Amino acid sequence: MSFDWIKLLGFIVTPLIASAVGFTYMGLSRKITARVQNRIGPGISQSFIDVVKLYSKKTAINHGLMQHMGPVFAITASITTLLFLPVIKDSIFFANFSFRGDLIFLIYIMVFGQLGMALGAGQTGNPNSAIGVSRGLSQMVGFKVPYVMALVAIMIHAKSTNLQEIIAVQDGFRNWMVFQMPLASLAGLLAYLGYMGYAPFDVPFAPAELASGPPSEFGGKYLALMMTSRSIFTFAKLVLFVDVFFGGASNFIELLIKTFLLYLFALFVGLVNPRFRTEQSIQFWWKWPTAIGALALLLVAWKG
Amino acid sequence: MEQLLNIPAILAIAFAGSILVFVTHLVLPRLRTAVVLLLTLVPAYLVWQLPVDSPMVYFSLGGFDLSWGTNPYSRLFSLLIAGIGVLSTIYSLAFMKNKARLGFFYLAFLATIAAMYGIVFSQDLLSLFFFWEIMTWSSFLLVIYYRFENQQAGIRYFVFSAVGAYALLTAIVYLYSFTGDLSLAATFRVIPQLSTTQLSWITVLFLLGFGVKSALMPMHVWAPDAYRSAPSPFTALFSGVLSKMGVFGMGLVLFKFMGGLEPGHIIREVLAWMGGITALLGTFYAVFQTDAKKLLAYSSIAQLGYIIVGLAIGTPMSVMAAIFLALMHGIFKSMLFMGVGSVFHQTGSLDLNELTGLIRRMPLSFVTVLMGIITVAGVPPLGGFVGKWLLYESLITSNHYFLVIVLFTSSTAAFLYLYRLIFSIFLGQEEREFDHIKEVSWVMWVPMLILAGMTLVTGILPGIFFGPIAEAMQYLGFPQIDWQMSVLFNPWGNQVDMLSVITSIATVFLLGLAFITWKNFRTTRYVTTKDIHTSGEMPTENENLTYAIDFYRPFERAAAPIFKYKVTRMYASFAENAEHLFDLLRHVYTGNAQTYALYVVIFLVILIVFSGWIFGIQI
Amino acid sequence: MNLNFSPVHFIAVPLFAAFLLPLLGRISQKLVTLVPGIVLLYLSAVALTLFPQAYNEPIVEIIAGWRPPFGITLVFGPLAAFLVTMITLIGFVVWIYSYRFIIRAPLEKYYMLFMLLIAGSTGIILTGDIFNLFVFLEITAIAAYSLTAFLRDHNGAEAAFKYLLIGSFASAFVLLAIIILYANVGTLNMADIAVRMGDVPAKIKLTIMILFIVGLGIEAELFPLNGWAPDAYSQAPSPIGAVFAGIVVKAAVYALMRVLFTLFDLPTSSHFLVVMGTITLLIAEMSAMRQQQIKRMLAFSSIGQMGLVLVAFGLGTREGIAAALFLMFSHAIIKTLLFFSAGYLVFFSGFKNISDLEGVGREKPWTGFFFSLGALAIIGLPPFSGFWGKFYLLISAANASHIFLIVLILFSAVIEAVYYLRVVGRLYFKKLHDIEIRRTPFTGLLAMGILAIVTITIGVYPDFIYELVLPAADELLDKAAYLQYAMMGQ
Repeated sequence: MSFDWIKLLGFIVTPLIASAVGFTYMGLSRKITARVQNRIGPGISQSFIDVVKLYSKKTAINHGLMQHMGPVFAITASITTLLFLPVIKDSIFFANFSFRGDLIFLIYIMVFGQLGMALGAGQTGNPNSAIGVSRGLSQMVGFKVPYVMALVAIMIHAKSTNLQEIIAVQDGFRNWMVFQMPLASLAGLLAYLGYMGYAPFDVPFAPAELASGPPSEFGGKYLALMMTSRSIFTFAKLVLFVDVFFGGASNFIELLIKTFLLYLFALFVGLVNPRFRTEQSIQFWWKWPTAIGALALLLVAWKG
Repeated sequence: MEQLLNIPAILAIAFAGSILVFVTHLVLPRLRTAVVLLLTLVPAYLVWQLPVDSPMVYFSLGGFDLSWGTNPYSRLFSLLIAGIGVLSTIYSLAFMKNKARLGFFYLAFLATIAAMYGIVFSQDLLSLFFFWEIMTWSSFLLVIYYRFENQQAGIRYFVFSAVGAYALLTAIVYLYSFTGDLSLAATFRVIPQLSTTQLSWITVLFLLGFGVKSALMPMHVWAPDAYRSAPSPFTALFSGVLSKMGVFGMGLVLFKFMGGLEPGHIIREVLAWMGGITALLGTFYAVFQTDAKKLLAYSSIAQLGYIIVGLAIGTPMSVMAAIFLALMHGIFKSMLFMGVGSVFHQTGSLDLNELTGLIRRMPLSFVTVLMGIITVAGVPPLGGFVGKWLLYESLITSNHYFLVIVLFTSSTAAFLYLYRLIFSIFLGQEEREFDHIKEVSWVMWVPMLILAGMTLVTGILPGIFFGPIAEAMQYLGFPQIDWQMSVLFNPWGNQVDMLSVITSIATVFLLGLAFITWKNFRTTRYVTTKDIHTSGEMPTENENLTYAIDFYRPFERAAAPIFKYKVTRMYASFAENAEHLFDLLRHVYTGNAQTYALYVVIFLVILIVFSGWIFGIQI
Repeated sequence: MNLNFSPVHFIAVPLFAAFLLPLLGRISQKLVTLVPGIVLLYLSAVALTLFPQAYNEPIVEIIAGWRPPFGITLVFGPLAAFLVTMITLIGFVVWIYSYRFIIRAPLEKYYMLFMLLIAGSTGIILTGDIFNLFVFLEITAIAAYSLTAFLRDHNGAEAAFKYLLIGSFASAFVLLAIIILYANVGTLNMADIAVRMGDVPAKIKLTIMILFIVGLGIEAELFPLNGWAPDAYSQAPSPIGAVFAGIVVKAAVYALMRVLFTLFDLPTSSHFLVVMGTITLLIAEMSAMRQQQIKRMLAFSSIGQMGLVLVAFGLGTREGIAAALFLMFSHAIIKTLLFFSAGYLVFFSGFKNISDLEGVGREKPWTGFFFSLGALAIIGLPPFSGFWGKFYLLISAANASHIFLIVLILFSAVIEAVYYLRVVGRLYFKKLHDIEIRRTPFTGLLAMGILAIVTITIGVYPDFIYELVLPAADELLDKAAYLQYAMMGQ
């Protein structure tokens, strides 16, 4: 097998682009939040400035090896997730490993980073971090139920677990999963809100209450790497949901539009809602979204 | 050595070994360690060398024809027994050092291993049951090893085992009444001639028997306490291998005996759902445990649930997944119990509310537990992922949509208890009281790290297990199964390439690690866990900053409705009512001679009056 | 090899010893303890010597020179050989145990009654004469009444009285049955009776059978006729409890079976036996569950085991009877072991209650070990002999398509496991009460050790016994052959 330079370049460039897009969205979200709250807010490039500043910090402290490696776990998971995602339909450049993984693999690899982060946060000894992790993991059990229901329904509908093939099924506007499988998509999108961690499901990070929870002991290069990871991960999540529910994207502009709209959806839901307590959000997901997801599964089972 | 390569020799060495160790302990305690080591290694080596198609051994005992032999299926399990058996024995050498009643301990320990060899090599139902019962009572002796606190656990274990064993026995003698021959071969021949009802009864009884050992809900109530009570080296073997004997038997019953139960049969579906519910509830219970071993015990119950789901579904892929998970569970659960056991050995505590911050004191145990929890969680790239992936994909492709949701929920909730396990013990605040703790001796950490290495190898090259599993499945009656060394694929043709996964993860991880280590290498400081951000106030030395008690209170509140009913309580009330009934019946024996005389007369009168009805002759 | 041994010795020698013992007591107490041992050793030697012959060709001994059907015969076939050998061997082990256990006077009384029990029990098994059977039954019973009250306390006297009262019913019914029988057939030789039984009207036959069932059922601990048993077992000295469970009941069951199988056609009563056996088993096991006293518990367990034996006989097939005999053998070994160890446990703690035994097992590891081993064995775990007995029974029940019976038997086994393990648990797990711990004599441990080794050996290699019980079962089933050799003599 000849060595494919384009592919190698793709491996390097994809995370960079993802990171850039992620930071931009984060900047935009701060701006939009501010405008909604009738503030002026920081510039869009604020996130870039923050991360560059953190990278250039000369000192750093840690509480041990696990905290040292936590951000590495996170970035590993983010980039690996991204590499196994078909970012743009049929693009060789962005294809990376997307033929060699499937949805269930993605679900699992996405946890890898969270686990690493949780371990790193745990070692800091800060009770706020531990509380944050406890809440975050508990919430995850909540939203994973409708989430997996939606994904399983879609996998069965598409008769494939591979994301490439799931995108291929959604050829044409009318074949998008949101229209093909409205119930599953509804359950999936409600779970997606939990995945993004904005209000009302932001109790694990609650800045005012927990001092941002898990990341509260991270600074300097550690925080910088974590933020980079977060930007990539945010983008990866958006791409995943676009691929699964909105037919993927055939070019970069389409991708940006779709992901940004999806991002705004989570943001706006958050802006108009107060914060749920942990058990409230878990019970929320175990009620309606789960019921909807179950219905979707029943429908798929009945059809096929 | 050549002459010893047959099953009777191996079993004889193994059983005689257990007695020899006991005698050695009485006579020459100094040689005990050497003898124990020798008598575990020799049978294990012989089992390893045993050819897959070694000739069957036939003999007659008590009027029955018995036979022992090997096949790919038994070889797979015998290697698991040998491997984990040897490692846990080595581990026990240091763990049990200076403990009392070591002769008794090793007698039961080696007898359990020997009995398990016997179970997998049995080619007839009587030897199977015979060894099964020996395994039961020898493991029972180990459960009650730390005598005082464990009586309840031991008796519960024994009674449940007895019920299971008697279900097994009923099935065996019922089958025998049709076959007149106890050998598996004859059984397989006769099975197709039985009616569906008979077959179903036999299957259910067998599954009940094997289900008890693999702690299938609702027959699981013995397991948490029994796992908790046994000494850690044995718990590793108990949960890792002994519970697999139930899986071994279920595999035989579901595929070899009951060829008539095609996939989708009601018994299979019910069993699969029982497995699914076991997985879910086991996980939820594990989340609320504050005792490390009890947490792992519930985790074990849950993991066995996954395996049973795979077996019950019965498609080639799901069975592959189940057996793979069974082997993986043998590896990772033993290593977790060993890791937690090491902590117990050094600190004397298993209380998650009490332990904290041991990572720098016991780094190797930490690595073991870390690898263990990653494997349990099924996160790539370790071996646990392979098993989970195969199982989920097999469920999805065989239309078990809701079951896959149940399992997914369970494995998501598993993160909760896994994180709590590692966080409470190794992470968090480092407390003064644990400053003196040291890592365990190499005798203990070498086996742990060997197992940890296995989880990595099986993640990258799962094919080393797929090969033997495929052969075993062919023995069970499946067609030839395609497998590849490191690519997983499902019936729809989708695949996961573990080599790409490991390439990506390893590259990024190493680059990231290099980056974060090199950058500001000199100006990166290590600070203690007391030096943390607490809104401007410096915590003092005595301030308790450990967050461990009621770690998952919010989740508990959310999940409260699920836990309203407890099976344990149901059994307890059943037992209580039964005893009351027995107590009433006991008063038939009034202790009064007149009453007894009256009984005699009444009995005589009844016999005479109803003689026609009783003896079929009119007076 | 014929050293002029004869089955007569089994009865004559212990009887003679029994009458000799009070005289010996005048000379030396040492002799009183030694002579029964020598007698039992001799009997064991005789049994083992005659054993192969009996299996080859049954030995029929004619007493007082009259040929059957007029003379009294002793029939030493495979079945009798098996049971008599078992009885003499168990008797010998009981003697080893008693050697240092029974140390309070009057020694000669104890050993005299013990010898009478042995003589009576072997007599029941050997005799071919129905009236003789009654006589031996009475000898056994009278010795048993006296031994029950041996300790001369209030409870012992009460238990002995109960035993006596119910036992007199047994005597009366058996005697009545024999009288009616004699009136109708005019002979007392069992083989001869069996031949002439065809002429007896069905109604009378049935009456006789019912009288025998009730009369012998009392001694064989058939429910609900077994009210005497728990008291007698628990009040008698421990070795005698073992003798009751291991020897006396076995002889009584043999008598019942011999009468039912040889004098009557079994099929009419087989279902009755299965049902009554099951009821006996279940009631006994349930009652055992909540007993406060360890020996009472063992007594109920013993009754339960006899229920199993009755079920096995009731199945009436060759395997069924073989299973019954195997069960009898393994029960004799294990229950004796249990009574022995329980005897010392009670002796150590000074109390009979289970709650007083707490922690004794840790202080007395060997006695505790033997009790635990016996408990595991009687529950029916491999590799102990108890397993095979139950397994043979279940196999024959399955072959007779009694699936429900299997379930009931196994259910009772679960109950058994619970109450035995509770006791074992208490022996080890609870705190020791403040009691003085006494030494276990070597002979006690030796006796228990022998039994433990036997139960394990048979458990690992049951063929030793199984090959012996099959011809014995054949003998019981093959009425024609029995008639032939019992009538002909030699």
